[in-house]
Amino acid sequence: MRLLHNYHYIGAVILFCIGLYTVIVRRNIIKKLIGLNIMETAVFFFYISLGYVDNGIAPIRVGGADPSKMVNPIPQALILTGIVVAVSVTALALSLVILLYRQFGTLDVDHLMRDEAEEAKEAGE
Amino acid sequence: MGAYRHFPVLMITIPMLGAVLLPFLGYLRKRWVATATLLPLAVSAVLGLLLIGRIPADGYLSYELGSWTPHFGIEIRVDYLGLFMMLIVCGISLLALVFSMRYIEREVEGPKLTAFYVLFLLLSAAMLGFTATGDIFNLFVFMEILALSSYALVAVAGNRNAVRAAFKYLLMGAPSSIMVLLAIGFLYSVTGSLNMADLSTRIAESSYSEVLIVAYILFVIGFGVKAALFPMHMWLPDAHSIAPSPVSAMLSGLLVEVSAFAIIRVTFSVFGSGAENLIGGTVDALGIFAAAAVLFGGIMAIIQKDLKMMIAYSTISHIGYIFLGITAFTAEGLAGAMYHVLDHGLAKACLFLCAGSFIYVKGYRRIDDLKGAWRQMPWTCFAFAVASISVIGVPPTAGFISKWYLILGNIEAGNYFYVFVLLSGSILAAVYCFRVIYYMFFQPPKEGAWESRTNEASPSMLAPIWILSFGTLFFGVFSYLLIPSLLKAAAFLL
Amino acid sequence: MKKIISLLFISALGVLLLFVVASMPRMGDPESPTREHVIPRYLENAEEETNSPNVITGIILNYRGYDTSGEVTVIFCALACVLAILGREKRGRIHSYVDRSPVPASPVVKTMVRFLAPFIILFSVYTILHGEISPGGGFQGGAIVGASIIIFTTIFGLWEASRRIPQKFRVPLEGSAFIIFFIVGILGIVGGGNFLTYAWPNIANNLQPSVVLWLTIIVEIGIGLGGAMVLISILFAMMREEEAIAPTA
Repeated sequence: MRLLHNYHYIGAVILFCIGLYTVIVRRNIIKKLIGLNIMETAVFFFYISLGYVDNGIAPIRVGGADPSKMVNPIPQALILTGIVVAVSVTALALSLVILLYRQFGTLDVDHLMRDEAEEAKEAGE
Repeated sequence: MGAYRHFPVLMITIPMLGAVLLPFLGYLRKRWVATATLLPLAVSAVLGLLLIGRIPADGYLSYELGSWTPHFGIEIRVDYLGLFMMLIVCGISLLALVFSMRYIEREVEGPKLTAFYVLFLLLSAAMLGFTATGDIFNLFVFMEILALSSYALVAVAGNRNAVRAAFKYLLMGAPSSIMVLLAIGFLYSVTGSLNMADLSTRIAESSYSEVLIVAYILFVIGFGVKAALFPMHMWLPDAHSIAPSPVSAMLSGLLVEVSAFAIIRVTFSVFGSGAENLIGGTVDALGIFAAAAVLFGGIMAIIQKDLKMMIAYSTISHIGYIFLGITAFTAEGLAGAMYHVLDHGLAKACLFLCAGSFIYVKGYRRIDDLKGAWRQMPWTCFAFAVASISVIGVPPTAGFISKWYLILGNIEAGNYFYVFVLLSGSILAAVYCFRVIYYMFFQPPKEGAWESRTNEASPSMLAPIWILSFGTLFFGVFSYLLIPSLLKAAAFLL
Repeated sequence: MKKIISLLFISALGVLLLFVVASMPRMGDPESPTREHVIPRYLENAEEETNSPNVITGIILNYRGYDTSGEVTVIFCALACVLAILGREKRGRIHSYVDRSPVPASPVVKTMVRFLAPFIILFSVYTILHGEISPGGGFQGGAIVGASIIIFTTIFGLWEASRRIPQKFRVPLEGSAFIIFFIVGILGIVGGGNFLTYAWPNIANNLQPSVVLWLTIIVEIGIGLGGAMVLISILFAMMREEEAIAPTA
């Protein structure tokens, strides 16, 4: 049963699905952004688990550490980049939310889209 | 080895450096910002032009960053198609930038102008890096730069619709980026490599076919959202029609094509050799979606009342064309897809800039308002007509050449249904384009719409429009300059 | 209805992904494909080749330095996006809702923050400079500086904070990370290698390790400084906006 060995990956998949569900279904846009961050965290979790090796140690060559026991450094390096990207996306999204709230006075997606439909109707007439 | 091997990396990093230095200049001398933005892009374009002829059609220029051998460091790999794409990016961004120097002050408030130009430069630099890179994680990094800057560029006007469209775009774009990241993780977990060339050899040897198939599907979904492939296109009409016109030209003429090019990279450079049987099913599904995109985009474009909305739906239809060239899996189809990237980039950028001129001069967005526009703005209208003809694919234009090769490629692959789809897509394009042309040239103007004497837009706005529409004619007549090399490069990639 | 459809879609995706992760190599397997290809060389040689005992720092700054230069551009891009959407805070006197809060912060909190902030910044300097030996590095240090400024700003208000870190000080430093990367890259070309080569081929072999070390430290400092300034500017831009949307008391 590989599935049981890979239980970290299962956790990542479940988190990913929870995040995607939140992004799609939730009506509050702040909650959607939280869902986005959950998705990102799931992927980071997957990467870091990917780098693990049995009885692994941190990949720092100090004090005669054995290189063959070190965990894989590449996923960690990649995820550092991934985290910065996630921070940037969140910053941009939050500033959009600030502007949306200022202009519509609501954070409800249905409300935003209903306004859009009404505006389109008015424009069509 | 001459100095030219450094050119690709300089082409990418010089606009980035320009973008980073620009806020400082904006803080000191606000008036120089727009002009200073031109400089790094022009340097990139010159470096790109100097590279022409240095890269053979069946070869590539490999550049190892930090002098590490490719598996360990990051490699920039520019092949003929990559250079072709980079030159398109440089050219169209330069023209859109020249256009926006006048235009953008109308739509963007003064204090935000510097940020607009910074984002514009970052978008161009990211597209250059995105096409040139030979490392799959680096692809993700550049994709994020271009995604972030494009979300903000859609919202830059700051009104209700712009912010809403940008948020919609972000809500679709950000999860798709995460899917690409997940796909890279899947690939890494079974190959242990991030270099594209290395990946393709290791994928061919790999025994983890399930992981590879799903990774490919995730790549297609991730880049497909960015490229607005049919079922994932919902963000495009709003974002492209509401963004300021030069930005629409960049998004529609370059960004979606660059994303499609990423799918070409992933399909042929990463999964291509030895993994066709793995991705075959997904590619077939991609073909069906592409065919649906051609028809859906065309029909939706016909019923639009807003000019920019119509052009945006036409983009969805044309992305379908590019994907039909990819899924044919033949040299003709791929060369046709690449030529379509060129043709569509020129024509769509031209159409959006024309629409921008109408908005700038008269504030008209609706197609009805353009009745009789010919008398007052003949130059813009003629350029619009030329670009529309290229969108339809009538012989002397580049659109004809690309459609010809797309059809040839699909005939060779035996996909006769797609040939039919391509032809009916042209008919739909003829309907929506000729409607606008008919209104412009053969209808009397609406009462009060064009009565007062109107001048054309300023020369700095007309020149890019005319260069673009002339480009569609030039590459239609002189297609023999490029087509043989493109065919050779496509055959090399397959 | 929409909920049910999306639930079905997501559970289908979840089952597919579970199926995929089940067929992946076992987690922690010392012989999985990820460990046999490029990793041994990184783990064995990184210390000599990049002159940093922390292999991750070696990879981030040296082997994959180009990615990191893209990454600092991403965060700079985020700042440009926020400024394009919200605009920078105005020069001169600014107030956020913190400044006008009817309930002033208690003296205990104020004293503690004033006392702690320098130490947090000191810790971030340590994190930045020690990045090649211990966990840490430019981004982490920059984020810690940002955090200290966030604490300070929430307690003392935007006016006090932006007086201490004025715009004319932040603007030139925001892009410093990429500028330093670019300079190091060009120095690599001048030194006879490719872009972003740290170990210049043109100089004597015994000098190379110290050049690599110094370049690494300079790049770390640049990333830390740039990252911190970008985060602070984003914070200030957003704080100013809160004034506009906060319900006026």
